[in-house]
Amino acid sequence: MELKICHLYPDIMNLYGDRGNVLCLQKRLLWRGIEAEIEKRPLGSDVKLSDFDLLFIGSGQDFDQQLLLEDLNKGRAREIKAAIEDGITTLAISGGFELLGNYVQDADGKRHDFIGALDMYTENHSDRLTGNYKFKCADNCGGSIVVGFENHSGRTYLGSGLSPLGTVISGSGNNGSDGCEGVHYKNVFGTYSHGPVLPKNPEFCDFILLTALQHKYGSIELAPLNDEAELMAHDEMCSKL
Amino acid sequence: MNFRVILAIIVCKLLRILSRLLHRGGTAMPGRYALKICPDLLRILAQNVKTVAVTGTNGKTTSARMIEEAFANEGASYFSNKSGANLISGITTEFVMNCSLGGKMRKEYAIIECDEAASTRVFAQLQPKVIVVTNLFRDQLDRYGDVTHTLSSIREGIKGAPNATVCLNADCSLTSSLALDLPNKFIFFGIEQSAAGNHKPSELSDASHCIRCKTEYEYSYISYGHLGGFKCPKCGYSRHAADYAVLDIVEQGSDYSDVVMSIKGDKQLVRINLPAMYNIYNAVGAISAIMEMGLSLESAVKAMGDFKCGFGRMEKFDLGKAGAKMMLVKNPAGCNQVIDFLQNIKDKFSLVICLNDRAGDGTDISWIWDAELEGLSRLGGRLQNVIVSGDRAADMRVRIKYAGIPDENIVLEKDYDKLVEWMAAQENTVFIMPNYTAMLDVRQHIVSHCGGADFWE
Repeated sequence: MELKICHLYPDIMNLYGDRGNVLCLQKRLLWRGIEAEIEKRPLGSDVKLSDFDLLFIGSGQDFDQQLLLEDLNKGRAREIKAAIEDGITTLAISGGFELLGNYVQDADGKRHDFIGALDMYTENHSDRLTGNYKFKCADNCGGSIVVGFENHSGRTYLGSGLSPLGTVISGSGNNGSDGCEGVHYKNVFGTYSHGPVLPKNPEFCDFILLTALQHKYGSIELAPLNDEAELMAHDEMCSKL
Repeated sequence: MNFRVILAIIVCKLLRILSRLLHRGGTAMPGRYALKICPDLLRILAQNVKTVAVTGTNGKTTSARMIEEAFANEGASYFSNKSGANLISGITTEFVMNCSLGGKMRKEYAIIECDEAASTRVFAQLQPKVIVVTNLFRDQLDRYGDVTHTLSSIREGIKGAPNATVCLNADCSLTSSLALDLPNKFIFFGIEQSAAGNHKPSELSDASHCIRCKTEYEYSYISYGHLGGFKCPKCGYSRHAADYAVLDIVEQGSDYSDVVMSIKGDKQLVRINLPAMYNIYNAVGAISAIMEMGLSLESAVKAMGDFKCGFGRMEKFDLGKAGAKMMLVKNPAGCNQVIDFLQNIKDKFSLVICLNDRAGDGTDISWIWDAELEGLSRLGGRLQNVIVSGDRAADMRVRIKYAGIPDENIVLEKDYDKLVEWMAAQENTVFIMPNYTAMLDVRQHIVSHCGGADFWE
């Protein structure tokens, strides 16, 4: 078995240890004897996302937003939207999560249209929601408790047809008011959690891997790994929150 | 001298005496109260002192120690904020401790390291004669925001000090962009291609795209991180020629580097009393500041060979059979440089990594995944043991595991007493890589075991 993983915009969407997520996906496949091929797709590279089994988009700095918009407008937005509709498993973090929505509105009211793959939008405020936090994934997203670190000025609101990835237990989540964290649509998992999120949430990581593998190979199971180190980091933070 | 100034000085001095009686540093707190009484205090005191200020994300403390050594060599009358208290409160405390009760400064010069975010306020108060900006790397994102925000803070700071001569790292596209839109006199320092060689770009660049027009930079060479011979193919923004330049690295030892520098056209062989590439940058930056302050070339060069940094920066301890060396690491760029340094160690060694997530460190530890700790798995048999410690030891354990060190070879020890005992029992050299508050803690335990100076000394 093999998963082809596309790391989208590793050149500009890489702010908070995001490469750790890709590393984690890769290692947890390799440790099980499953091949993992990582391909980077920086700004301006050719796009053919239908070749991939898993897409990853990380978080970016404000400075690069204009660069990103220009690149998305060159056809990449359409590709990402099509890939999502085809059921390609996608993990999008923070800024990468926001860009899947309809638009991001700056604190001064200016709107930037984004991909519109998911019916949601983000409003940037001048203050940031920052800190360690935890949430419980919805049952159809594995149901695990995820711990992470959030740091976002954006408040994201989901359209009525969308469900969140999980429910906030401690911290702010999407907007600090509705208790929602992230988004789940088809095989898309969007979250504000960096840290990076996957290494110390092995259950969540495995759920994403399983989603991608089952989409490609049908009904299969993942062999268990020794997650003593990962769970220790997870449980320590969990007990503090 | 008005009443508020004198009252603020008295309160500050008393609080400091009280702190020391209680065996605390008292580095920042007295200044904080003094500024509440007299918000203008630092500006008033700094008027009659010639100040050199050092800011930038990496290398502030080391650069300041190098500069200080040159002042010591010349027998100049100076003081510095050696304790590392580099916010406006700590800097104010330091000025007060060097003035009379009437507010008359006792020293002619001040060597002040200044936090990047604090520089916005501090530079306007200090009106430094010379400002050095060492570099800009991503650092404590939860506190400073991304690196362009840090750059804006420093720009605002320099705007408040238009008469300062500003020494910039020519190889850092972020830092040197300060010269584009400010009226100050600018001086550049850097490492030439002849000395830097051509390292491959790191996987993560903190400045891959032009700060002016957002086009991807082209590089003729890279020394490390995003530092090197950058050029924007579209708008033409490119590396400025360096007035103080490292032309050749003659030798890189495990305790020192020998380099050839061009100092305003003069070629000089310089011994730097610390190893590793990042300290070569610190040295050439420090020399530029020393020269621009008007000190002699001899003092500047001699200072590089004489200075001792200590306090967690390549600090040696008489611990264990072969000694221990502490290398403070605060962000990915610094961590990558330390791991590069370890690649050049020929003998077997043990590595202790201590990670905290307190306010002084940044509460977000995701940067450990940006750091290329994968380099540890290339050390092979020379790396005898890895011990992880600190409040977030468990996270570091996971990071090291995914970096390719088998989990069964990683020891987790949060008890510093036991950790120090373990280090003391080692046959081989122990390298300790802590982040800031972990360094303060582990250092204190080591010092009480085998001696060393208090942090404010």
